[in-house]
Parts: sequence; C-alpha cells; structure tokens
Amino acid sequence: MKIISRNLLLFAALLLVYTLLFRFGLGQLLTAEKWFWVIIIAILYGGIIFITAWTTGKRDGMENFLFDAGFRWNFTTFLVWGAASEAWFLLDLHSAYESIRVVHITLLIWSGFLLLHFLLFLILRRRRTIKGVHKTDIFE
Amino acid sequence: MINMTRDDQMHDELLGAWEDTYKKGQLTLWIFLSLKEGPKYVSGLQESIHRFSKGTISAEEQSLYRTLRKFYHLKMVDFSAGKGYKGPDRKYYHLTPLGESLLHSFVERNILLFFEEPLKGLLINSSQAK
Repeated sequence: MKIISRNLLLFAALLLVYTLLFRFGLGQLLTAEKWFWVIIIAILYGGIIFITAWTTGKRDGMENFLFDAGFRWNFTTFLVWGAASEAWFLLDLHSAYESIRVVHITLLIWSGFLLLHFLLFLILRRRRTIKGVHKTDIFE
Repeated sequence: MINMTRDDQMHDELLGAWEDTYKKGQLTLWIFLSLKEGPKYVSGLQESIHRFSKGTISAEEQSLYRTLRKFYHLKMVDFSAGKGYKGPDRKYYHLTPLGESLLHSFVERNILLFFEEPLKGLLINSSQAK
C-alpha cells in the first residue's frame, strides 16, 4: 500500500507539463488580448486535468487498495499547480495582465477546501474502512 | 424441437448469469480454504483453487497478488520465504491466527448450514431432479 504511488507520480508529472503549457499559452493569449481563446484554453486545461485525474485515479484504485477519498489527487494538484505558478512568477515569465495576488488568493481559498476534504477523508476513513481499506473492497 | 433448443439456450444463459453473480465474493473463501490445506505460493494457490473448485473458479495471478497484499496488510495472511523451483525464493503464504479464526466463523455461520437437514436433503434432491 503506497501513499505516493506510480499513478500519483504520473499524474503529478502530467499536471506539471499541462500547467507549464497552460501558463505559457495564457501569457501569450493575454498579451495578444485574445480574450475568447483565454476562456477556451482555461476550459481545455481544466478538462484535461479532470480526465487525467480520473484515469490515473481509477487505475490507482485497481492497483492500490488505499482508501483516500480522492484527497491525494486534490493535494497533489494543489502542490503542483501552486509550485508551478509561483515559479512562473518568480522567473518573471508572466504577462502584464497576470498578478501573483491571484495565485495567492486561489491557494488560500483552495487550502480551505483542502482542509475540508481532509476532514471528510478522516470521517469516511473512520466509518467505512478497516485499517485504511474500504470494507466493501476487502473480500473478493 | 426448436422450443427445446430455445429452452436449453435460456437455461444455459440463466445458469451462466446466476453463476457469475454467485461467484462474486467467493474468491476469499477459496483462498482461505486453499491456505488451510497448507502454505502456498501464488501459482500453487491458483492451482489448488482450480482443483478444489473443479475448474469453476479461476483467479488471475495479478488478482491473487493484489488480494494477498491486502490480506497481509489486514493481518489475515502472512508469508515466509521458501525455495523456488529453479529460480529465486518464493513467498509462501499461510493463514494467521486471525485468518484461521475468520475462516472458522465464516464457515460455521454461512457454509455448515448446507450440511444440516432440511437443506442437505433439499440440495441432494435438487441435484437429482434433472
């Protein structure tokens, strides 16, 4: 039973690539003032993250019996997105339309939801698992 | 004649569907019974499940590894290293006292009732009915 599994690492790596590509594309489109495409690229970014998280999470569920209520994926997204976004600003790669304040506010709000997710995970783990394995997944 | 064939086909389809549902959740019992016979490595376990169930239950090796990892985590089985056949050491799995106790309770509550009357008689009757 691995907390940092192969699927989680694959998700983190793909997410990093997506985020860097998104940040680059976003900067270019904002500078060119192509507002419609900014919305499109944001939707694509969100969609591809959702699909990747769904696929890797599902595969992880088949290989790894650890119950986490999706918390590891949420936390990884928080860390990777936060680190990549902070680095983007620190390296001065952002456009004139972007502000690091937005990143900080997003991370602040997100950490609140992350805390709620963690509490939910603890409650569900206590109610639905035996030693971290979902009761319905133990016997096959 | 055509109706007879259709009935036979429906019988087989229904039996297949019933057996598929019935087999779900049975792997644990077959694993535990096989380990009750004695410690086994995964391929040996696979072979004895096949033998005990007269070929009606088959388990993928990957599925068995995953299940045994889970049972090990929950302290229902343990393993010790043993000699492999022309290769590296193998993990020989065995039931822990918790596993033994679980098997005992499960069999007592869910299986032994089939060996008592009137169920025993009804089962024998059903098998002879056809």
